[in-house]
Amino acid sequence: MMAKKILIPSLVVSSFALLFCHVLFAADKLNVVATTTTLANIASEIGQYKIRVASIASPKQNIHHYAPTPKDVLKVKKADVLIHEGLDLEAWRQPLLDAAGNSRFFGDGKYSIDVSRGIPLLEIPTSLSRSEGDIHAFGNPHYIGDPENAKIIASNIAEGLTNVDPENAAFYRKNAASFNERLDTKIKDWEARMAAFQGAPVVTYHRSWSYFVKRFGLVVIGEVEPKPGIPPTAKHLAALIQQIKNKNAKVIIKEYFEENRTPKKIAEETGIRIVNLSQAVGEPENAKDYLSLVEQDISLLEEALGTQKGRVS
Amino acid sequence: MRLHQWVFSLLLSFFYLGPMGTASADPTAGPNLVQEMADIKRMVVAMESHMEVLKSTVRAQNEIIERQNYRIEVFEKKQTSLPIQAAAMPQTPSPAKTLMQGGFNPDIGVVGTTQGKLTQNKADIDGNNTIVLKELEVNFAGAVDPYSRLDATLALNDNLEDQNIDIEEAYYTRWGLPLGFTTQLGKFRAMIGKENLMHAHQLQTADYPLVIQNFFGEEGLSSSGARLKNSIPNPWDLPLEFTGEILRGNNGESFSGISRRPIFNTHLKSFFEPSQDTNLELGWTTLFGDENPPRTILVDDGTGVMVEEEYTPAEGQDRYGVKVFGGDATFNWFLPEGKRVMSQSEIYFQNRTGRVYDNNAPWGFYSLVEYRFSPKFSTGARFDYLNPLDVAGRQGTTSISPYFIFWQSEFADVKLQYSHTVYAGGEKTDNAAFFVVDFMIGAHKHVVQ
Repeated sequence: MMAKKILIPSLVVSSFALLFCHVLFAADKLNVVATTTTLANIASEIGQYKIRVASIASPKQNIHHYAPTPKDVLKVKKADVLIHEGLDLEAWRQPLLDAAGNSRFFGDGKYSIDVSRGIPLLEIPTSLSRSEGDIHAFGNPHYIGDPENAKIIASNIAEGLTNVDPENAAFYRKNAASFNERLDTKIKDWEARMAAFQGAPVVTYHRSWSYFVKRFGLVVIGEVEPKPGIPPTAKHLAALIQQIKNKNAKVIIKEYFEENRTPKKIAEETGIRIVNLSQAVGEPENAKDYLSLVEQDISLLEEALGTQKGRVS
Repeated sequence: MRLHQWVFSLLLSFFYLGPMGTASADPTAGPNLVQEMADIKRMVVAMESHMEVLKSTVRAQNEIIERQNYRIEVFEKKQTSLPIQAAAMPQTPSPAKTLMQGGFNPDIGVVGTTQGKLTQNKADIDGNNTIVLKELEVNFAGAVDPYSRLDATLALNDNLEDQNIDIEEAYYTRWGLPLGFTTQLGKFRAMIGKENLMHAHQLQTADYPLVIQNFFGEEGLSSSGARLKNSIPNPWDLPLEFTGEILRGNNGESFSGISRRPIFNTHLKSFFEPSQDTNLELGWTTLFGDENPPRTILVDDGTGVMVEEEYTPAEGQDRYGVKVFGGDATFNWFLPEGKRVMSQSEIYFQNRTGRVYDNNAPWGFYSLVEYRFSPKFSTGARFDYLNPLDVAGRQGTTSISPYFIFWQSEFADVKLQYSHTVYAGGEKTDNAAFFVVDFMIGAHKHVVQ
């Protein structure tokens, strides 16, 4: 009896309150949620004032290990469009979608924009086994490191937004073209500046720079991780140090969220420089958009490889 | 493709240059012409960019066709008994392989937990001074249809008495109900605080906090029932999630143990981000249920001899005699280089009739602090206080459990823990050391809490 007296009126009142709030706080712009800050930035370049963009993963954390929060669940729940990097970069994406329960994003519907479409992927595994570490079943998902791929991403976002909001198709396409035009100019500049370092041997912490180094002609001679996602071991480090000495590698490329202790240890033994680069807009804080992010990465690398006075940890 | 591109570009040039030439003859059209030219330029760039995407798609498609041709070739050679050079196979994209092999099979994962425990406790009960396979979880998950999914966890136990299989969780989730509600039906871990939601291998520590064990069972409260949850919209865009559950009553230490006497549970949680590097989750749990399991009483058999007899209080006698209130708080502080400080606390109070247990107001809490100082290691400590169900008065059990975790990889970890416990009354103490190894294979994704 008590349950009936309390529960039923509570449910009725709650339902009306929810209905009222849904109507009251209904959005006028297209609500877009992107899984990363970089995608959110590119989306905002294309959608501009016609969309409201939010991002999920913090730029300060490893994208693979990000743990979605209740705030992220709410963002996805309220979103009209989801933009994600596809493949299996965001291993937490499906649990997040399940928690949010926004049926628009189940399956490959038009509200879910996978920006990896059309990107030529690298390092597609021939067999799948965790004995090879945390490998990615569909190929290396860190393709955003190559600014040429950002052009494909921009076009995919424009097409995705067009599918959802065809009335503004010309607007989205025009903005994507403008973004790609600016990117083209910058790519020419970046390639010219990196031309002097073609074939330079480098070491990366994680296999997250494959697309970047390919674009700018650097050669990865080894990784700090023995296998993707596996913390370094003493045996592996000894072999890597020898390799660095043999190949005369000049730079270890790592991301800000990766630990410094091991690279520093390698640097002490070999004199190699450590450069913190990023693929996430907002890390560091002055990388406010994709162009300034890559600009910053190129400048740091240029300094480290060239004058040997780069920003090192 | 190249020829088509040239033809297309030429046609495009004629198409646009023609009108431009006409327009340039009109002196009044000056500013419009500049605008038009800018628009045309943008359109051409847009088309070029689309062309790039198409080219990439064609390249990818050609690659797939090449692989398929190679496969056909190999297959044909196999038919004519020629040896296959497996090593010479070009790289095959895994998605295709997964699609072919997996089909519509659910995601399957296996998680094992072995535990070694040294303790002063002399009881020959499971896990004391032995190394045991504590649990082997088999997980199945997948979409049922566009509106729903199924998640199931079967736990295989190597218990001393009998090896068995438990349905730890198996629930059907249906999204998209009116007003954005989601429902879950089946058996699940009750939405009580934080740790009750976690499977053993997800815990930071080797065991569940004492208050969870004493109030809800050794591995927390998991029961059949129905759950309804939703976010409460508000003008501040604050995450406010409400969950209501009706659980079968035959589970849980604190309740009746009678299946037709349900346990009602509600949970409200919110989440704040005080800064870019910190977050705080706060939750409130309220449970109420019955407190009248069958019990043995002494009855005069009519000859003056007292005999034991099972007695079940009349229905309704102790309706909602147990009320449990609890609060939880989890604070995360993300530091540079992937380091993290995490603090988590839960506190629970009970208000009960006191007919079954001596204590009518048991309560307890735990507080845990952990520091992940490298990709490989984290360390922390948990403090427990418990005024247990079966001990009247204000005497409480306290326990301190420092621990250390080695993260071998994302899929295997080793936990070392020492626990010093002083039981209520202070006469009995226990020192225990735990050595736990968790390992997993296959697909395994944790539910977002």
